[in-house]
Amino acid sequence: MNIWKISLSNIFHKPLYAFLSVLSLSISIGLLLSIQQLDTSIQNQFENSLGDVDMVLGAKGSPLQLVLASVLHMDNPTGNISLTEAEKITKNPLIKNAVPISYGDNYKGFRILGTNKEFADLYEAEFAEGEEVNQSMEVILGSTVAEETGLKIGDTFMSSHGLTENTVEVHKHPLTVVGVYKPTYKVIDKLIVTPLESIWDVHVHRKEHQDEEHTEKHHGDVQGAAHHEEEHEREITSMLVSFRNAMGTLTMPRRINKETSMQAALPRYELERLFNFTGIGVRAISWIAYIILAISCITIFISLFKMIQERAFDLALMRTYGASNFQLIRIVAYEGFLLVLIALVTGALLSQVGLHLAFSAFKHGYNQDILLKFPCVQMVKTVVLILIIVTIAIVLAILPILKMNVSKILSNAK
Amino acid sequence: MIQTQNLSFQYSPTLETLRFPDINLGRKENLLVLGKSGIGKTTLLHLMAGLLKPKSGAVTVEGIELQELSVRKRDRFTGQHIGMVFQKNYAIRSLNLLENLEARLYFSEVKVKKEQSHNLLEQLGLTAQKFKKVNQLSEGQLQRLTIALAVVHQPKVILADEPTSSLDDVNCELVMRLLLEQAAQQKANLIVITHDTRIKPLFQNIITL
Repeated sequence: MNIWKISLSNIFHKPLYAFLSVLSLSISIGLLLSIQQLDTSIQNQFENSLGDVDMVLGAKGSPLQLVLASVLHMDNPTGNISLTEAEKITKNPLIKNAVPISYGDNYKGFRILGTNKEFADLYEAEFAEGEEVNQSMEVILGSTVAEETGLKIGDTFMSSHGLTENTVEVHKHPLTVVGVYKPTYKVIDKLIVTPLESIWDVHVHRKEHQDEEHTEKHHGDVQGAAHHEEEHEREITSMLVSFRNAMGTLTMPRRINKETSMQAALPRYELERLFNFTGIGVRAISWIAYIILAISCITIFISLFKMIQERAFDLALMRTYGASNFQLIRIVAYEGFLLVLIALVTGALLSQVGLHLAFSAFKHGYNQDILLKFPCVQMVKTVVLILIIVTIAIVLAILPILKMNVSKILSNAK
Repeated sequence: MIQTQNLSFQYSPTLETLRFPDINLGRKENLLVLGKSGIGKTTLLHLMAGLLKPKSGAVTVEGIELQELSVRKRDRFTGQHIGMVFQKNYAIRSLNLLENLEARLYFSEVKVKKEQSHNLLEQLGLTAQKFKKVNQLSEGQLQRLTIALAVVHQPKVILADEPTSSLDDVNCELVMRLLLEQAAQQKANLIVITHDTRIKPLFQNIITL
């Protein structure tokens, strides 16, 4: 016989009671933990997707839209810019490298991104199979694209115009898969990467039929066109720029926005602004979770308090057996903390299961695999907070034991 | 051995002070305390068990004066040397019979061989119930369990509060026989406090409050 055995048999004596206490507590713990993990994972996902990109150079418009389109590949681009013009700016010694990207088409909703070989380096993407593209009309698939479309190396497919899935405007030029990237949990997973030339080639042909398209964007590259006749039509959506040092971040965007017809957006700054909006939602859900936590602490307090009252006679009896107050407190505290511990474990499991389900749903919705990020420090803080609150509830419930009048309880026994 | 001297007790300053006659029991001596309801029988019992602090006077068990001990030491001392049979039959509800005996021994830190607990249950006719929870027992079985709990740790004094008042004649006799038997076996003093005059013939020492 020992204290643990008594605590355990107390729990099993009223299994429904114990189950309900554990249930309400684990739901709130699970909710709290998942919200934090979700928040961290999504922020991490966004930051991850930024890769090495410090600045985006693109057509004028909303900077947030430019960042969303060019870095997170979520929104429509603001327009096109001239490659020559962009390259002029990116020759600056402050710039480490500048990767041009160009949009236009999709395949089954996956964006086809014209760019150069440096694009993959921004996301540290490695080949799962296949090799680099060597010529126009060859593509490399991101891991999600390969998984979802079932395309393999050597397969060919037709892209359709625009950034959303449609079957009306299908290009007549087949693209050939030459490589597949390993999963990176970054945006490149949901992209089809091809040389810039592919996009140009496809759209040059289009232009022969529909000359009016894109002409409004031409005024920017008149000078460039004079020198490079063959590059006359070479436009890109944007240029992803990484700087050598912070100096670039400080000076370049302002100059570009002031002196050119293009705009420079800073992804980190724009996303921070975005999080300030979305953070409200996260905070609201967190508050709800805290309220549930408070309620379940009250539940634990009430159930322990009731239990102590119901067992007052048992506890008084143990005192006449020679038990110390400390032993009685241990019996009740072990019982409370054991329930809390079970709730913590099941709550954590619940949050993991829930998040995996949520993320697989997210994967279907957004074609993006998110790496579950475990925010250790924050989790530990939350768990410690939960333990403190629960401890207060348990201590409050236990207090009456200290003031217990053994004689009175025994003589009033029913 | 248990002695009381000039014991008095007052529940609150506005209430009358209860005064109790001195008790002095040598080894193996038993005592019956008779008295009407509300006269302070249970109070006397709780004073002797160290559960209440007397207004004046002293209780000495095995040569130790209870009020001279600290609360913790007194609990331990009375836990080890006194066994109590309560007015209502009581045991720890979440434990089975055997576990109740084990818990009793655990808290009073008394080591008793396993066979002794089993023997005791057998003597009280509870062997078949030893793995049953308390709420699965009949009234009579519960009564016998309380007796087992009062004697399993081999106390020097057994204090019984109205052990027979709710029993019929047959069970009354059975319970008293068991109590006296156990007290004799343990060489303990048995003090029964009751208004039940049926058991008067079983005692030589009788005090009426």
